[in-house]
Amino acid sequence: MTEQELEYAKVENLVGQLPEHWMLHGPKKRYVDQYLYHSPSVGIVASYTPTEENVEDHFDLFRGVDQIESFAQATVVSCATFSECKKLSVIPSELAKRFVPAFISIGQVNFHSYLEKGQTFINIGFIKFYKWRQMVCEGRIYRAPKDLDLVEYFKDFDEKRLLAYDLRSDFVLIAELYDITGRGIKKEMFAKLQ
Amino acid sequence: MENEELERKEILDGLLEVLRTVRTIDPARLEGITEETDFLTDMDTPSTELINIAAKVEQKFGVEFEDDDIDDLGSKVKDIINLIIKAKARAQE
Repeated sequence: MTEQELEYAKVENLVGQLPEHWMLHGPKKRYVDQYLYHSPSVGIVASYTPTEENVEDHFDLFRGVDQIESFAQATVVSCATFSECKKLSVIPSELAKRFVPAFISIGQVNFHSYLEKGQTFINIGFIKFYKWRQMVCEGRIYRAPKDLDLVEYFKDFDEKRLLAYDLRSDFVLIAELYDITGRGIKKEMFAKLQ
Repeated sequence: MENEELERKEILDGLLEVLRTVRTIDPARLEGITEETDFLTDMDTPSTELINIAAKVEQKFGVEFEDDDIDDLGSKVKDIINLIIKAKARAQE
């Protein structure tokens, strides 16, 4: 094992990890800033703050489709990458050589409010199904209270609270997302889809 | 040979029970199903549903499929039957 592989092997969950180490795309299309809570078999909480570039040409608002993308990156992509790396004892860059993370399907999405540039939000999602490199997640997006220290707030979060969306009342519900599904497809099979 | 045919028939019957519980499959299309029936072209099953069917099949038949099994799975009824037989044999090794 290399030193880098040993470092990754020690990681027990994604809290405190840099998203760019676990999602190899980006930086422009990476919509996760921080992992705040992660229980590998249950779910995750991750935050993002839309930038000027993210809202360009769109009324200074973060598009609904980008919210879905952010949620999928925070939940399906991050959680499945973590679990597959653990299962195969490889680092994310090795995993990326073998598989392409593909969006498979989206269930229902209900939008309740909107997000402006600079407004930090959280993706809070749980794993409904995970087998054969396919993961299905559902959850919510909330606008975080301004100036709240999210790292501190989620420090003692737990699975029960995640599943109940048990948050302070000043988190504002932005969207509910159901059956967000992704799959790690073998590179050779992905190439055949063209 | 007869035993093999009987086994495939029993698996097909069990598979039909599973398929009757799949929301996206029209029960009318299960009439006259054969091993050559294709989920995608003959039954209009969404390709994403095949994973759910595989998960239900695992439970029903008490077998376990591997990642590669699902990667290589075709879309015909016979492909699932073959996979069940393969997984059963693997479990007995």
